[in-house]
Amino acid sequence: MTTRFLRNKVVEVEPLSDGSLVVSWRLTDDLLKAEVELKVRPPDLEILSAEAKLERLPFEAWSSAPDLIKKVEGVRVGPGLRKIVRGLLGGPGGCSLLVHAVLEASNAVILHFTRPGIQLGEKLEGEELIAATRAMVANSPRLIRSCVAFQDDSPIMQGLDLSEGRR
Amino acid sequence: MITFNRSQLIEAEFPDGESVRFRGVQKDHIYNMEISMRVRIADGQILEIEGLMKRYTNPVCPAAVPLLQAAVGLSLREEGWDRRLMREIGRQGCEHFAEIIIECGRCFDQARLSRELLEALQRDPSLNQERFVETWAEEHPEILTA
Repeated sequence: MTTRFLRNKVVEVEPLSDGSLVVSWRLTDDLLKAEVELKVRPPDLEILSAEAKLERLPFEAWSSAPDLIKKVEGVRVGPGLRKIVRGLLGGPGGCSLLVHAVLEASNAVILHFTRPGIQLGEKLEGEELIAATRAMVANSPRLIRSCVAFQDDSPIMQGLDLSEGRR
Repeated sequence: MITFNRSQLIEAEFPDGESVRFRGVQKDHIYNMEISMRVRIADGQILEIEGLMKRYTNPVCPAAVPLLQAAVGLSLREEGWDRRLMREIGRQGCEHFAEIIIECGRCFDQARLSRELLEALQRDPSLNQERFVETWAEEHPEILTA
């Protein structure tokens, strides 16, 4: 059976020599071609610049996207981001696609920082891996109950000492 | 160089005229997962779902696979369906599974529009596609907020 609709999305993070990060978010499907680019500056992860381009068959209601996305310049990737971005880019007169793009690009920034820690633990197995993951949770309590691995009955959570991460 | 890349591929088939089957893949430098799910066109209800974890970070992650069944019965038409999916499938199970399901859900109306546009173009190759899309969006305003 042939596919009647196909969507490809890619988000990439590229560190620049000045320490900032460029995040490129791209979508292409049967109806839409969209590109969003954010420049983010560590350590506070402020969005320095934001660009958007929608092509192919974008809805007329989204024609203001290139101007609308400028509203996230100055916003920081951090707590409360979802609410802030929905408030700035969503709702009547907004563009839901831009909301998704900015949140997914921001998530990619977080995963850019997460990846090295996960790579450090990838040679571990069994109890060693569980202990290393437990230590990671102790250092990042926001992970508690964030997924099945960090629910109370998970072997990772059993024996977790939250004071460990604060030493 | 690129230090993090995530790719999503969502495809939609219409196997029987009453439902749409989505296949979604999400691969990045850390995770690699797939979702297959069937959705009833009339009300957006998820009828079947399966998931496959190919790369994950700890031995507990695969326990999220059977928890996917909690999505059966949920409607992509209900208010806040994406937040409910992230809460019930993401936080209880795996957020990366939830991300794929949510992207499939966002493609629900897009896939219907795409199918109808293609059929209309087959009837009339000179069809004004922009006008067709705008008319469709006026008749199905939910597509603008998906």
